[in-house]
Amino acid sequence: MTAAVLLAVLALVLTGPAPALLARSDWPYRVPRAAVILWQAIALAAVLAALGSGIALSYSIAGRPGEPRFDPSSPRDLLAAVILAMVALVVVRLLWAIGRVAVGTRARRRRHRDLVDVLATPDGLIPGLRVLAEETPLAYCLPALRGARVVVSVGALDRLDDSELKAVLAHEQAHLRARHDLVLEEFTALHHAFPRWVRSDVALEQARTLVELLADDDARRRNGPRPLARALVALAGAPAPEAALAAAKSATVLRVQRLAGPPANEPTLSAITYAAAAALLVVPTITVAAPIVKAIVDAVS
Amino acid sequence: MASEERAPRPLGDLERLVMERLWAAPEALTVREVHEQLARTRELAYTTVMTVLDRLAKKKLTERERDGKAWRYRAAAPREEMAAGLMRDALDRAGDRREALVRFVGQVSDEEAALLREALAQLDGKEPAG
Repeated sequence: MTAAVLLAVLALVLTGPAPALLARSDWPYRVPRAAVILWQAIALAAVLAALGSGIALSYSIAGRPGEPRFDPSSPRDLLAAVILAMVALVVVRLLWAIGRVAVGTRARRRRHRDLVDVLATPDGLIPGLRVLAEETPLAYCLPALRGARVVVSVGALDRLDDSELKAVLAHEQAHLRARHDLVLEEFTALHHAFPRWVRSDVALEQARTLVELLADDDARRRNGPRPLARALVALAGAPAPEAALAAAKSATVLRVQRLAGPPANEPTLSAITYAAAAALLVVPTITVAAPIVKAIVDAVS
Repeated sequence: MASEERAPRPLGDLERLVMERLWAAPEALTVREVHEQLARTRELAYTTVMTVLDRLAKKKLTERERDGKAWRYRAAAPREEMAAGLMRDALDRAGDRREALVRFVGQVSDEEAALLREALAQLDGKEPAG
């Protein structure tokens, strides 16, 4: 019973207060790579702890040493079975959400790429570059295992000089190389898998910001901070006809301010973050696995 | 096109040219008509045009109808309409939360634009670094 309660508390902390606290902190932006891993660990650990709590509860209700067999006439065993079934249901729902998001994302992307390929003109500057004859300043990438695209509108080209365009392309290519879209997809799936009252946008929003920082860092290493910062200001500050402004506080200011500072170099903070991520995953796993392993060992000996 | 180092998409480029023909045409075109138009400027096999039109139909970018023994193809929508749809999707105005594409940067408010220029001035005021 203790294990079940501890795991439930851990799951609750990892879904509510921990993400909220982390999202308000500035230090993750200094170690974006490790921070992405930490966010993934938090999400995975929350799921594992929630499932583990159910499993542990089920075991503690049904578990009488020496009586491993399921007895349908026992109310305790029935309750334990119902709890296990609910755990299974959560797993199925999660897998279903992951599948649906994966299929939906790819379908939307394929359609978008088909349209880009007939509407935009190829440009040999980098592989997969397409130029769209639109005045709205816009640059984005369409990730794919094969045939990824980087799309830039004429409106964006008009606002960028040569070095700024290179910085934008380097940024987009970094997204494509590192498949940042897969990270975002995980958090989208997780977001869709849970009912409205437990889920929040925090993890997905943070993941979005962090992968932008990672791509910025890559572009900065190639071309220096200035062209990239100028490109950000040129494209974000450009008046966009009828464009819906992002309601949430955008990460753009953070990105430009970060480029104005020295390049991040925080091996210690990064190591601590990685260690925290590892610990987060190990603790619930051990807690769930330990009683089961112990039961097996007891049964064998 | 063939001289380009990475040009494994000769058909992809043709798709665009074929669509441009269909958009420009006042009525639906047969494979032969599309081929005639394109063959004026480049060497092109009839069967290639057939393949391309078939692929475009599968992608639902064209619609086709029987005309005797031949198929007649038309663009599924006018160019402006498809372009508007593309932009709507690119700017995420459909409210779809799936991460289909990753944008370089979104639009910011006037307030944030001022902060951005400030940060940029700070960067430009310094000696080259990083």
